[in-house]
Amino acid sequence: MGVLLFISVLLVAACGLIYELVAGTLASYLLGDSVLQFSTVIGTYLFAMGLGSALSRFLVRGLVYQFVWIELMLGVIGGFSSAALMLAFAYTQGFGLLLYALVIVMGVLVGLEIPLLMRIVRGRYQFRDVIAHVLTFDYLGALGASLLFPILLVPRLGLVRSAMLFGLVNVAVALWSTFLFGDQLVRARGLRIACLAVFCVLGAGMLNAKLITAAAEDNIYADDIIFSRDTKYQHIVLTRFKDDLRLFLNSHLQFSSRDEYRYHEALVHPGLSSIPAARRVLVLGGGDGLAVREILKYPQVESVTLVDLDPEMTRIFSTNPMLTALNHDSLRSPKVHVINADAFPWLDSNTDSFDFIVVDFPDPTSYSLGKLYTTAFYRAAARHLSVQGMMVVQSTSPMFARDSFWCIVATLKQAGLHTYPFHVYVPSFGEWGFVLAGLHDYHPPAALPAGLRFASVQGLPALFQFPPDMALLPMPPNRLNTQVLVRTYENDWKDISH
Amino acid sequence: MKVGRRSFLRSASAALVGLSLKGGHPIEGSFVNDNFQMGHLLRDRAPFAAPKRNEKVSVVIVGGGIAGLSAAWRLHKRGFRDFVLLEMNAQAGGNARWGENEISAYPWAAHYVPVPGRQAVYVRELFEDLGVLQDGHWNERYFCFAPQERLFLFGRWQDGIEPAVGLRQKDRDQFQRLEDLLANHRASGGFTIPLELGRSQKDAELDRISFAEWLGRQGFDSRLLLWYMNYACRDDYGALAGATSAWAGIHYFASRPEEEKGPLTWPEGNGWITRRLLERVGEQVRTGQMVHRIVPSARGLSVFAGDMEYQADFVIFAAPSFLAPYLMEGFPHLHDFVYSPWLTANLTLERLPDSRGAEPAWDTVFLDSPTLGYVDATHQSLRTHIDRTVWTFYWALADGEPADGRRLLLSTDWNYWKEAILHDLERVHSDIRQCVSRIDVMRMGHAMIRPAVGSIFSEERRRITRRDPRSRILFANSDLSGISIFEEAQYHGVEAAQVVLEQLGGRR
Repeated sequence: MGVLLFISVLLVAACGLIYELVAGTLASYLLGDSVLQFSTVIGTYLFAMGLGSALSRFLVRGLVYQFVWIELMLGVIGGFSSAALMLAFAYTQGFGLLLYALVIVMGVLVGLEIPLLMRIVRGRYQFRDVIAHVLTFDYLGALGASLLFPILLVPRLGLVRSAMLFGLVNVAVALWSTFLFGDQLVRARGLRIACLAVFCVLGAGMLNAKLITAAAEDNIYADDIIFSRDTKYQHIVLTRFKDDLRLFLNSHLQFSSRDEYRYHEALVHPGLSSIPAARRVLVLGGGDGLAVREILKYPQVESVTLVDLDPEMTRIFSTNPMLTALNHDSLRSPKVHVINADAFPWLDSNTDSFDFIVVDFPDPTSYSLGKLYTTAFYRAAARHLSVQGMMVVQSTSPMFARDSFWCIVATLKQAGLHTYPFHVYVPSFGEWGFVLAGLHDYHPPAALPAGLRFASVQGLPALFQFPPDMALLPMPPNRLNTQVLVRTYENDWKDISH
Repeated sequence: MKVGRRSFLRSASAALVGLSLKGGHPIEGSFVNDNFQMGHLLRDRAPFAAPKRNEKVSVVIVGGGIAGLSAAWRLHKRGFRDFVLLEMNAQAGGNARWGENEISAYPWAAHYVPVPGRQAVYVRELFEDLGVLQDGHWNERYFCFAPQERLFLFGRWQDGIEPAVGLRQKDRDQFQRLEDLLANHRASGGFTIPLELGRSQKDAELDRISFAEWLGRQGFDSRLLLWYMNYACRDDYGALAGATSAWAGIHYFASRPEEEKGPLTWPEGNGWITRRLLERVGEQVRTGQMVHRIVPSARGLSVFAGDMEYQADFVIFAAPSFLAPYLMEGFPHLHDFVYSPWLTANLTLERLPDSRGAEPAWDTVFLDSPTLGYVDATHQSLRTHIDRTVWTFYWALADGEPADGRRLLLSTDWNYWKEAILHDLERVHSDIRQCVSRIDVMRMGHAMIRPAVGSIFSEERRRITRRDPRSRILFANSDLSGISIFEEAQYHGVEAAQVVLEQLGGRR
């Protein structure tokens, strides 16, 4: 009996520590500042344990009965503490309140356990042996739990199931106690039934833990991730929140379906509408098919060539129903030819000419992407312009990356092109910039396609006006051998984020 | 036997390393382009078969490196076709040879040409011919793309090879003082490319001491500065500063204007220039033709190569000059021509290794490595996404006497160099063994002329550079300058061709 008794001390101690660790870990996961969270959680928990020990003197009768009930309560509260906290964080404002309420209640209950146990067994051993044995196994249990928690439990089970597993341990100890100290119990049967009931509840919780976690996480991360894939070239993530679809490439937001029309209408229409008989259009980048959707609003356009590096990107935007609804199935239009190739070498290897070229690449965050913003690149692109042709270039934000924006303008100028910079406000991006460029002057269009939500003939002139905080800055052109733009861009965004 | 704790730990960790290596895929490769067997036949004066055929040709160019190809280019450009170029190796180009696999073309040796200054008239003319220079503008695609050079030192990367990280005030002061001294030499006009145009007796003193001694006399003792000076000498001359003439050490820095554009380069390095030259003069080029004897004849000179005898009016000797005594009876042995042994390797990478966060650069150097680092062949690619690449790894065997380096090259197997190269790269790219699928190694006993102390103003060198048409043999190798760079090779090749054209022009 001695060994079994002390093993239950060990298990009880382990449970107590696990609940404390779960609370501390969750608080630091969700609230941040782990030093503060762990300190306050542990402090409160220890204080509550002291409180429990102090209160234990008021329990005088039916000690085993009381002990079993405490174990059951701990099993339920501790076992569900993690799930309750996650749901509270996701759905309520009261996470902090619940956290400390739980910490205090669990602390008090854990604080009651050891004094009660010592009193239950004091008749069987000498006092000094009780103290020595109980405390030894108490601390051993704590050691075991503190090692198990980070090494095995969190990685294998997760926080929700770890807490529930130890809830089950508490209940097991309760059930076991009804046999171990059966001689001190009058109505053991009722207690055992209660134990089994709680055991079933916790077991069911264990089995459905995934649902609880998912329900909580769905609400913690504002948007559902509906697609996530590492391709050979990039990490593609699509998220959805209600009617808002968002595309992230390498964690950079590419569009939000709520306002992308502003971006893509501005990208395409000021330029394409100004070329009366545009028949052939080239899109470099833009594998989402959204620019192509705008281009297909011109019936005179006979062919659209889309060159995007990543076949996975053009594939999902040709097949996923949510995405084809967004781009009006543009990539499967018979007018559209999708080519998966690296844009710069493709321009060199191809001899076709185009009336309008859309250059829509990710921002110049690296030297490899920076090559697509150089004098050499724009010269290569300009060789593909027809006599009346123009191109438009996605040019990052003239507000947040003002130097970079004007560096791109200077680069297009250096490549021998006439430049017409303009900007548009896209709520999910902020103020965004484009440059129209051509071998001849730009004449704003007299009409735009019907049914546009943002671009209008009356509104166009304003887009070409730059207020003082985005106004022209003298910048050197970006060349292959200097790549000043990459460093400029890095500095621009550093200034914003610090 | 008592096993100490240290030795136990060492063998235990070695065992662990061994285990981790077992997981890697095998790395293939071999020695390539070896030619010392042929050289040794000449050295040992082995008997060669009598010629079976003979051919009359006005000019024979011996050696198909840049000097020989440049002579051919000049002859061809002047409408002169009555010449042949004989190249010992299977491939022309010499130190501007290249290779190619399914990933990229890559250099076997020289991999760039600095933007030529005004004095390098022939280089500018060539680049106009090749479309590198158009209407006074350099083709931007041939400038080395950014980022160009990076140095790994003290656990991190920096831009450029001149150390800029971890300098104390003393180091900074010395770098500044050296820069001032070099600026004076630059302004003096005595250090030019081609070197012959500016070389002046007033600087002859500098040729009598080593670069290391000169640096010492100027009070330079900064470790990082001296590392950089030694790196420069190893890189351009295959020698340490102590074995390099101070004049040549200064020339490295003072001969070119400070400029931002960066050098001209191509995936296959100077092999690109070789290719363009071969497009023009390839018909006259005969590879696999080792010249083994040159003797005076009634017409002028008879050149024996393989089973052929070429009866020529003139020979442009563009092969390394030290071979002349082995080919021509009575030609005095040369004393002032010392050559550095080198090793280059081309590594095929199936993926880019961990580079501790840095984006790939064109030229990568590690501080305190005995090697010169590597150049990335796909750096000049216009692609944005590069997964596989080829690195050209450079190693001048600068320590010790050149003969020691040559012995080492001959006495070691491919595996030795494979391990040495990977070991060097592993210092920075820990997973390099998992990335490399092939390492081809090219060993060159006499890779480049070494500008040893006294060699720049050497009387012997001046004598054979004189290009006296009466001798009918005109030397043209870059070793006439005492330094082995593209511009010098091209200059001597073109100059020799000019002499020939003047002589023959009179007769035609």
